[in-house]
Amino acid sequence: MAILAVLPPVFVFGVAFGIAARGHGLEGWVAALMSALVFAGASQFAVLDLWTKPIPWLPLLVATFAINARHILLGASLRALCHGLPAWKVYGSMTLLSDLNWAALVAAERRGERDLGYLVGGGALMWATWVTATIIGAVAGGLTLDDVKNYALDLVLVTFFATTLVGLRRGRVDDLPWLVAGLAAMAAVWFLPPNWHVLAGGLAGGIAGLVRDELRRS
Amino acid sequence: MSTVDALLIVFAMTLVTYGTRAGGIFLVGFVPMSARLEAFLRYLAGSVLVAIVVPATVRGGGAAYVAVAVAIAGMLLLRKALPAIALGILAAALWRTYMG
Repeated sequence: MAILAVLPPVFVFGVAFGIAARGHGLEGWVAALMSALVFAGASQFAVLDLWTKPIPWLPLLVATFAINARHILLGASLRALCHGLPAWKVYGSMTLLSDLNWAALVAAERRGERDLGYLVGGGALMWATWVTATIIGAVAGGLTLDDVKNYALDLVLVTFFATTLVGLRRGRVDDLPWLVAGLAAMAAVWFLPPNWHVLAGGLAGGIAGLVRDELRRS
Repeated sequence: MSTVDALLIVFAMTLVTYGTRAGGIFLVGFVPMSARLEAFLRYLAGSVLVAIVVPATVRGGGAAYVAVAVAIAGMLLLRKALPAIALGILAAALWRTYMG
């Protein structure tokens, strides 16, 4: 249900992407195709600045990988949930893996519902919204990111993740790893190139929890 | 930018991005399942979310702090995500109107 709350901001960012893509000289159908196949907003926005001739292949592919590398952690965390499922189901579902529906999925898992449907259903809704919005943005126009700010839509995504965090918390056992994750993410924002913070914070928090458990055991 | 170039870029991005999506569950399959790995993956899930929320909140400034604080409080009290998010956004909109 909570995934419905994120569809309006996904829509608005999709429209913004369509507009921005046209502004950078992409054909409308190229923008729509990119949204349909890549389906990863931040990296799509990033490559718009690299949309030049000759094509800067290395920066373009490195940027795409760096921004989307966090998916690797999201996918890895689904191991228990995917255990025993046929490969086509697992790898098919992963085509729609994204932060928002992943968060909905792990929140459901914490409630005791082991069902990849949260990933696929939420992902399909987001995908349809994202592609439709890109087309609308590429055809029409006029809206800017400032308008999005005025309606506080940009904050829907962060509050959605924050509420998921509340459901995920098991208690004091999470305090240290989460503290380390937050600090490492901020350190990454300050000291690393853009978009590494999710990977850095996630790994640092996971390792911190593991090390703490080992020290306790010994 | 020719049509072929544009298509090449889109397909290359698609491959790289799907690689990250499928890569996590693929790579973790090579590690033998143990209580330790399971604990790590569980810490990982929460830590990834923290690493998304904290920088986004700091970047968003005053309104983002208000939105996140109210949404978390709402979630703790109501245990329902949708109303909690709505309250957070409403609080942030009020903050932007009167304080921002």
